[in-house]
Order: sequence, then structure tokens, then C-alpha cells
Amino acid sequence: MSIKINVSLFLHQYTNGREVVEVNGSTVGQCLDHLVKQFPGIEQWLFDNNGKLHSYITLYVNGRSAYPEELAKPVKSGDELNILFMVDGG
Amino acid sequence: MLGRDELERYDRQIMIKGLGEEGQEKLKRAKVFIAGAGGLGSPVSIYLTAVGVGTIRVVDHQRVELSNLNRQVLHWDEDIGKRKIDSALEKLGRLNQSVKLEATEETITEANVSQLVADYDLIVDAMDNLPARYILNKAALERNIPFFHGAVYGFEGRAMTIIPGQTACLRCLYRGVVPREKFPVIGVTPAVIGCIQATEVIKYIVGIGELLTNRLLTFDGLHMRFTEFKVKKDPSCEHCSHLASKE
Repeated sequence: MSIKINVSLFLHQYTNGREVVEVNGSTVGQCLDHLVKQFPGIEQWLFDNNGKLHSYITLYVNGRSAYPEELAKPVKSGDELNILFMVDGG
Repeated sequence: MLGRDELERYDRQIMIKGLGEEGQEKLKRAKVFIAGAGGLGSPVSIYLTAVGVGTIRVVDHQRVELSNLNRQVLHWDEDIGKRKIDSALEKLGRLNQSVKLEATEETITEANVSQLVADYDLIVDAMDNLPARYILNKAALERNIPFFHGAVYGFEGRAMTIIPGQTACLRCLYRGVVPREKFPVIGVTPAVIGCIQATEVIKYIVGIGELLTNRLLTFDGLHMRFTEFKVKKDPSCEHCSHLASKE
């Protein structure tokens, strides 16, 4: 199950500068776990100490919001997952 | 009715199909509230002044600092220490004398927001923090005023247009806040996003084109990429779910 994760610009510093990372998983949560396995430094920006997704992270599967219950959303091979870090500067 | 000077000043945009003199008159009658006179507020207010929006109110509570000048193009070296609203109104007034410019030195709060936005047709979100954006979002929804969101970080930007009762709102999009920090930004990013917000405002007033509703537009300036994400109204949204749907 190959899923393409597009990582938003702010988080590239935690993926060795990679914009796209290939992962395996049948849910969004499994895909993020696989991403963290490859790039452990990104975990603190995705999850709190209880393993809950930070509220400033938004996830999109094939361009559509995965909210609510994002981590349980099923994905299939060929899907694209986008991780957006909330920005609020002006 | 447009005067001779106005017909000449706005000639090139009046030529645009769907805008015309009728659209220009709509712009002249419009009253726009711009929350923030910083990185986003600068391009938004400059282009809405140039396009001939009739009344523009700028709200900001800060003074100009040297570190603002890499991006807040309304403010110049000579303005350091001045109130941003004074610096802004001076430049905008010189750009287009026919626009009625108003300014308020206030911090936008839950207590004053309703009164601040009461007389305006549109609200532009040019703030620099999410709590203030949520306050504006809620006020826009309650008063049924279209709300034009923009935000930046470094070379990244986001924009979305919100029509109360019809489209996803800012709270449908975001539920949390970003950890507070001094955010990095380069002037071209708010320039791009502010121009997108101003474009949306113009389109809404004139009634042309397709608005950036139920779509979050993201800008990655480093890879020069725009991406669009579908956003739905959240049926349990704490800001808009109680409003009657006008879809």
C-alpha cells in the first residue's frame, strides 16, 4: 500500500528537506506512523505526548479534509495525503 | 454615477468584461473593513484603494518598527515610531484621494468587534494571530458579513473566502492555535496572499468570477506551487453550525 505524503514547507526541515515521502498504511494514522519511523524528528510536530494529533495540523486525503477522526480515515494505494501546518502570520 | 476623472482613472479596469461602469459604481459604494495594517494589510489596502473601493477602514493598534519594513510596504523609514494607522492613511490618501479612508487604533477583542465591524460590507482578515482571526470570523458570521482570510509564514501562505451561512468558515478549517512565536516572513509572501485577498474582495463586490469558498488555497513560494484543498462546513462547528444555512 504505497501512499504519497506531501509535507508542507514548514515541516520539510524534519524530513531532510523532502517534500514528498512514500509510506505504507491502510489508514491515515498508520501512514503517519510510518512517516515518523522514517523521520522521527517530525513526531513532536504531529502528535502531543498522548499521541493525539496537534490541533494546528490539518490533514487532507486526495485534496479533501480528513477531519474529523482523521487518523482512522482509510486510505488505499495511490492516495495522496497532505500534511498542513497551520500558519497565522500576517 | 462616476465622474469624468473616475472614468479616466479606472478606464483600464472598466474595460474588463463583467466589471464595466456598473461594477465600478459597486466598488465605489462598498465599505471594507481591513483588520490589520501590517504585511497583509499593506497590499490589501493599497490595491483596494487603487481599485476605487468607496470607503476603507483600517484597524491596527501598533506603531511602526524598523523590523516591520521588510514586508509592511505601507510603512517607510520615515514612519518608524508613528502609529501604523496614521502611516497607512497618509500613503493611501496620496494614492487615491477619492477614497474615504478611516482608521481606528484598537486591539480587536470580543468586546469591541461587533461595534467595530457594524457598518461595513466586507471584512478582510489581515491579522497576525489566530485568536484575533477567530474573533473576527465569529463576528462576521453573526453579522452576516463576508470574510476574507489570509495568513503567512516564511515563504508559505494560505487564503480562503467565507460567506456566512453558505460556506465553510475559518473555524470549520481550523480548531486550534499555533504555538506563539516570532514568525519568519519575507515580504513577497504577504504580497502574494494580500493580493489574492484583495482580488476576492473585488470579485465579491462586483459579482464576477468564482470565489475561493470551500477551498483553502495554499502558496509555497519556495517551490512556486499553489495547491487547493476542499473544505466542508463542519456540522458541529462551534462558530457557524447554529446559523441557518443559506445554501
